[in-house]
Amino acid sequence: MREEQLRTETEPREELRSNEAERGAYSSAEHHRVTGRRARKVEGGVFFPKPENAVTVAVSSRVLFRTELEQRVFEQKGVEEYLRYQIEHENEPFAPGPAFPFVKALETVNARLRELYPQSEELFDIVLVTYNHAHVGIRLINTINHHNLFIERFCMTGGSSPIGYLKAWQTNLYLSADADKVREALAEGIAAATMFMTEKLTEVSESQLRVAFDGDAVLFSDESERIFKAHGLDKFFQHEQDNEDTLLDHGPLKGFLEALGKLQKKFYAKGQRLDCPIRTYLVTARSAASSGIRALKTLRAWGLEIDEALFLAGAPKGPMLEKIRPHIYFDDQMFHVEGAAEMGTVAAHVPYGVAQKHNQPQKPGARK
Amino acid sequence: MEMVSTVQNTDVKQKDADRALVVAVTTRAVFDAAAGDVYGMGVAFPLLQKVNERLLEKNPAESLLFDVVLIATDSQQQSSRIISSTSHYGLEVGRFCFSSREDLVETLVVNNVQLFLSTDRDEALQVSQKGVLSALLGRQEAPSESLRVMLCGDAIVRPDCDPVPASRGAAQSFSARLGEMRGRFGVSGSPLSIVLVTSSGGSKSCGVALQTLRSRGLSVDEAYCLAGAPRGPILSLLRPHFLLGDGVIDLED
Repeated sequence: MREEQLRTETEPREELRSNEAERGAYSSAEHHRVTGRRARKVEGGVFFPKPENAVTVAVSSRVLFRTELEQRVFEQKGVEEYLRYQIEHENEPFAPGPAFPFVKALETVNARLRELYPQSEELFDIVLVTYNHAHVGIRLINTINHHNLFIERFCMTGGSSPIGYLKAWQTNLYLSADADKVREALAEGIAAATMFMTEKLTEVSESQLRVAFDGDAVLFSDESERIFKAHGLDKFFQHEQDNEDTLLDHGPLKGFLEALGKLQKKFYAKGQRLDCPIRTYLVTARSAASSGIRALKTLRAWGLEIDEALFLAGAPKGPMLEKIRPHIYFDDQMFHVEGAAEMGTVAAHVPYGVAQKHNQPQKPGARK
Repeated sequence: MEMVSTVQNTDVKQKDADRALVVAVTTRAVFDAAAGDVYGMGVAFPLLQKVNERLLEKNPAESLLFDVVLIATDSQQQSSRIISSTSHYGLEVGRFCFSSREDLVETLVVNNVQLFLSTDRDEALQVSQKGVLSALLGRQEAPSESLRVMLCGDAIVRPDCDPVPASRGAAQSFSARLGEMRGRFGVSGSPLSIVLVTSSGGSKSCGVALQTLRSRGLSVDEAYCLAGAPRGPILSLLRPHFLLGDGVIDLED
C-alpha cells in the first residue's frame, strides 16, 4: 500500500498537469462553484482510463438529469426556441434524473477502487452521450460541476445517432430515455435500457452500488419466456425441468453483470468481500425449487457470481425491490418496470425478446 | 521579376476580396495526377459551393462567401490543363495562382488567404508556422449533407501550449468569420456544420472552449470531449472535411 502511494507521488501525472491549466482557465466566478471537486483530482489515481480497460457507462442527458420542462419547450415550440431557452437558463443546473443515483454510486465505487489500486484503469467511466445540440453543452457542463459529478467525457452529436459513438467508446451499458435508441444499441450488441422518471424515489445507499437484474430476457435469453407465453406455465415448468442441465443462452445484460463481477473480485482480492461496495441481485419470477435451478446452474457455468438470488415464484417484484433498494433494476417487461417505479425503485426497461410484443408501455414514453 | 502569376477564373463570379472567406488549396490536394480525377478537396468542393449557394439564396447581395484560390506549385503542371480540369469538374475556383513551392507562403499572404487546406501534414505545419492558418483535408468516402469543419479545442483552451502560436491570431479571426457564416443558417438543415473536439483535459476545459468560441461569435453544432481517449474511433465517425487546430493533428491518428 505504501509503495503504491510513493509511486503515485513520483510519477508525472499527465492528468494533473492538464488540471493545473484548467484551473488557470477558470474565471473566479466559476471557481467557487467547484472548489469541493478539485480536491478529488489532486489525490492521485487514474482519472481518464482507456475505454478498453474501463467499464464504460454511457448516459443520455435526459436520464442523468430532469429535462421535462425543456422537452416541452422543444415539443411545443421547436428546436430554435428550445436552444434559446437552454442558453437563457445556462446557469441554472438541471435537477437529478433517474440515472443520477446510479451514477453517483458508480463514482463511490471508483473512489474505493482508486484507494486500493491507484494505477489501475479498471474503473467505471461515465460518458454523457446525447444527441443534444452543443448549444446545450455549457448548461450540461455547469450542471455536472454543480452536482460534483465526475463526467469528463461526452458526445453531443447535434442530432445524429449516438450509436456509433457508443461503439467507439466501447460502451458496456447505455442508459437513455429513448426506447428506439436503446433498441438500436441492443441490436448492436450493447447492453442498454430505457429509463423513466418517477416521482417517488426511495432512498438508496450512498456507500454501496446495488444492481438488480431480472433473469429471463435480461441476463438470460428469452427462450424460456417464449415457451411460457406460447404454452403456459405448466409447459414452462416441464421444459425447465427437462432442460435443467442445459445452459440458458445469454441475454443482453449478461456482459454488464460480468463487468461488475470483475470489479467485485478486485475488492475480494484485497480482503474486502464483506465490505464490497458492489452488490448484485437476481430478482426473478422463477421459483427456487424448480425453474430457478436452471438459472443458477447457468450463472455458475458462466463463472458469474450473483450476491443474492430472489426467486419470487410469480409474486410481485415491487415489495422485494423496495427491500433491496437497488440503484437500478433491469427488467424486460414494462409491467414490472412500472410496478417497481410505483414503489420507488428506479427500474430500467430492456426492450428485448418476446415480451415486447405483449407489453407496451402504459405511460407515454421515452424519447431522446 | 514576377514569380507568381494570378489568373482570375472568368467562369466564376468574383467575390468581394475584403469580405470573402478566402480558402486556398494546392492542385495536389484536388486532382489526382495519376487517375486524372478529383479527390481530396475535390470532395469538399461541392459542399463548399452549396454553402455559397445557400448564402446567396438567403441574400443575393451576400459578400461573406467562400472564395477558393487554387495554387499550382509544380512547374510541370500545365496551367491550361489545370484551368480546363477545373472547368470540367465545375469547381468554383475564384483564382488560379501559378507559383512554386518556395513561394507558397508568400502566395498565400499576397492573396489574403485565411485558411490553407492540405492533404500533406508537413506542408500544413510549415505554412502555419509562418502565420497562415492551415487545416488538413479529410478523406471523405461517405456522402454528407453539410460541409463539416472540425476544430480542435485544446489549443483554444490553453493558448500557451499552442504548438503553432504564429497562426493563433489567424485562427481567432477565422473562427469569428466562420461563426458569422454559420450564423446565417438555422440550427437544422445548415449546409455548414461546426464540430468541436477536445482531446485532453476534461469536460471543464471543453466548456471553456465552447465559451471562448462563443465569445468570438462561433456557435458549435457538435461537441466531443475525449479526455485522453484514443481519437481514431471518434474521428472516423465524425468525418470532418476540414480539420483545424492543435498543431495540425493527423486525421488518421
